[in-house]
Amino acid sequence: MRIRKFACLCLCLSFLLCASAGFAATKYIVGIDGDYPPYSFMDSDGKPTGFDVESVQWIANEMGFEVEIRPTAWDGIIPALLAKRIDMVYSGMTANDERKKVVDFSTVYWEIDQAIAVKNESTATFEDFMAGKLAVGTQRGCTAAEWIEDNLVKKDVLAADKFRLYDSFPAAVMDLEIGRVETAMMDDMIVLGAIKGKPLKIIGTIKTGEEYAVAIRKEDTELKKMINEGLSRLMASPKWEELKAKYEMQK
Amino acid sequence: MDDSIRFIMEDLSGPLLQGTLASLKLIVCSVPFGLALGFMLASGWVYGNKPVSWLCRTYVALVKGTPLLILLFIIYFCLPSFGLTLSPFFASVLGFIMCNGAYNSEYIRGAILSVRSGQLIAARSLGMSRAQAIISIVMPQAARRALPGCSNEIIYLVKYSSLAYILSYIELTGAGKMIATRSFRFTLVFSIIGLVYLVMVTIASIIFMWLEKKLAVPGFEAKRQ
Repeated sequence: MRIRKFACLCLCLSFLLCASAGFAATKYIVGIDGDYPPYSFMDSDGKPTGFDVESVQWIANEMGFEVEIRPTAWDGIIPALLAKRIDMVYSGMTANDERKKVVDFSTVYWEIDQAIAVKNESTATFEDFMAGKLAVGTQRGCTAAEWIEDNLVKKDVLAADKFRLYDSFPAAVMDLEIGRVETAMMDDMIVLGAIKGKPLKIIGTIKTGEEYAVAIRKEDTELKKMINEGLSRLMASPKWEELKAKYEMQK
Repeated sequence: MDDSIRFIMEDLSGPLLQGTLASLKLIVCSVPFGLALGFMLASGWVYGNKPVSWLCRTYVALVKGTPLLILLFIIYFCLPSFGLTLSPFFASVLGFIMCNGAYNSEYIRGAILSVRSGQLIAARSLGMSRAQAIISIVMPQAARRALPGCSNEIIYLVKYSSLAYILSYIELTGAGKMIATRSFRFTLVFSIIGLVYLVMVTIASIIFMWLEKKLAVPGFEAKRQ
């Protein structure tokens, strides 16, 4: 008898929980790279913030839905999106052809190039980099890594052991400062942010014409429409300039 | 299906083979030193004088209490500020030896304690020095008894060697991850990596079982029904 009562109670509770979840405003989970300043990073209190995080929060507010920001391992972020662990990736993601095969992208909100950083005292030049003379570090699974692999490693310009991949770009910058790699390559804004206040300088940029957009599952057309609308409203509002100024993103 | 086979043959097999060799290099370089460190720590703990025993205990407690990943980060990113810049390979091997040694020492210590203290006294009464008695009477027995435990730890090392990719050393897991992120074929790539680890662990287990049989002293084997 007791067991039956307990089972009833459990059933009621679970119904209540489901119902309350159903009534709440639609909530989307936004996957970000938690270590990708200025686009997305954790502030000193451990809360996610950044240019992209504030953008999506503004859009959510404007379009009337809720968002939960969830830092996710970058090299597994698209599988996480496909497995519905997150509902979009809004974190400086380049809309490239390989990714377009598996996910949809919103309208483009930012364009970037790839920058190459070295130590201040280094005499290395951009030509040295292009000739594969310098050991280079970057983040695993990012555009810089793919560019180096396609243009330097596969063409036998750069020896494979001079190409080093890290879990996050700050780790590559740390190794650049220590001296294990001679250069670090990444999206220009990221490099600018990462070398601020450090004895590092940029020796050149590579025009890759990359475009940042929000990644959404192919079947979520409603969400894509909403994000596109939100992005166009955001970019027309004074908030856009305010965010650019706040995160020092004027080129 | 054809597409998957072509993908495995063309894109996956080369890097995975290189990755497997890199993993084996890590494991082979770590195992002997890990075992040696384990013996040193265990005998230091049991037979050392107070400061030595205390030192061994502290080391084991510290290393056992720190996640290996953190230990690797400390070795790789913090040691350079003290003037010691290790390559990703040596930093990983050092981390693995430190961790493997600490865990091995506990299996070996247990084995040492299982050898009756009367044997040490008997050896001493035959005129052996304390060191002689430990090395030629206690340790050979302890080593045999510690073998199943240590083999467990070494099998575990085969698997945690995958952490080296965090220090940018491309071993099996790192090589697979690189291909998986580019091709988005996570399930296929990781299943194959899992299989390779399974094969490596199976081979290690077989070697240790053979070693156990080989080292068994006639008349002293565990009784089997």
